[in-house]
Amino acid sequence: MNSAVASPRGTGTRNTRILGILTIASMAFLALLGLVFSAEDRDQGSSVRIMYVHVPSIWVAYIAFGMTAACSAIYLSSRNRSLIWDRFAGAAGEIGVLFVAVSLVTGSLWGRLSWGTYWVWDARLTSTAFLFITYLGYLAVRRLGGTHRQRARRSAVLALLAILEIPLVHFSVRLWRSLHQEATVATGGTDVHMDGLMLFSLFFGLISFTLLFLWLVIHRQRSLALEDAMENRGLDAAIEARREEAVS
Amino acid sequence: MDLTPRTSGDAASPAKKKRKWAPIAFIVVALIAGGVVVTQFLTTAIDYYCNVDEVGSREGCTDDRRVRVQGIVEQYSVKSVDGSTEFSMTFNAKKISVKYLGDPGGVFQECIPVVAHGRVVNGVLESDRIEVKHSNQYVEKNETRLDEANNEAAACSVSEG
Repeated sequence: MNSAVASPRGTGTRNTRILGILTIASMAFLALLGLVFSAEDRDQGSSVRIMYVHVPSIWVAYIAFGMTAACSAIYLSSRNRSLIWDRFAGAAGEIGVLFVAVSLVTGSLWGRLSWGTYWVWDARLTSTAFLFITYLGYLAVRRLGGTHRQRARRSAVLALLAILEIPLVHFSVRLWRSLHQEATVATGGTDVHMDGLMLFSLFFGLISFTLLFLWLVIHRQRSLALEDAMENRGLDAAIEARREEAVS
Repeated sequence: MDLTPRTSGDAASPAKKKRKWAPIAFIVVALIAGGVVVTQFLTTAIDYYCNVDEVGSREGCTDDRRVRVQGIVEQYSVKSVDGSTEFSMTFNAKKISVKYLGDPGGVFQECIPVVAHGRVVNGVLESDRIEVKHSNQYVEKNETRLDEANNEAAACSVSEG
């Protein structure tokens, strides 16, 4: 059965390998920045270093879910309804869920160290947990079965509804009194409340995690395309491949 | 994938579509989980979130119910007495005494915003849970900033918000 789908030997190309090397190098430098070069925080001490993973993770999740919605909108509005948009939406959704989970776990650890508790039913934390569950549901809906076009249509509609949660999560600290801090960098003005190297490390983290996201989403989209192709070829193609294997 | 050769009869009558129960079960679990999350949030919201200056005056921040009170730990007010921690919290020039059984944990210290859960009894907030609220300011810890930090600390009970 392998040879039936093995015509492309993997999901990598020269460009994705370059992107992969860049991603790994930037991640290594981020680890150095976060763990060695950047200073401790005056109040939080070393626990502030969790920020260099926590904030970029939720940043990537926002980008991923934004991409899921954008690709879904393109799929629904385009004349030819190319399934590549659906696969990009699905790939970005999966990666977004992964990074929300990372953000929730790192946030919980950071909360224990700075707030004194792993979890509170606070507006920001609750809305983020709800976002996580919503997109888990989105991924489940993608696997409900039916044709690829049915999958694409129903998941696209859900993605366009789910994206409405992002502003709610982001502005929850302003809408409700929250234990979670308000924005430090994206304050809507020029007033940034973070010292030099900490700010640089945070921005470098955003870039590194964005590269990681791009790398993952390209590979995942290609693997989803292979899965779709495999399903399209169906049983007869698989039997044919087996016969060819036996002959060769 | 089932690679068993098909008989001609199978080709004539297509196999019944198998319903995918796992994703359906997963969606049900996700819906329940979403409900639990929202319920927990709303249940917690029953404890009114009050600033120190609103205790006793704002609706929901009265003595007869559990409240969450937000304020800044007053400088030089923290004392450990028989395993409990006592301190004063201030906000908008109002002050309340807090008694907490145990060590608050986190980065609890003077001049830092905190949220204390509990009941107000005879003007003292008897708290069973304290969460330390760190600000959105990140300042590198280094020796040259010590004076600056001390100045800020000295001014903490005056400028709050």
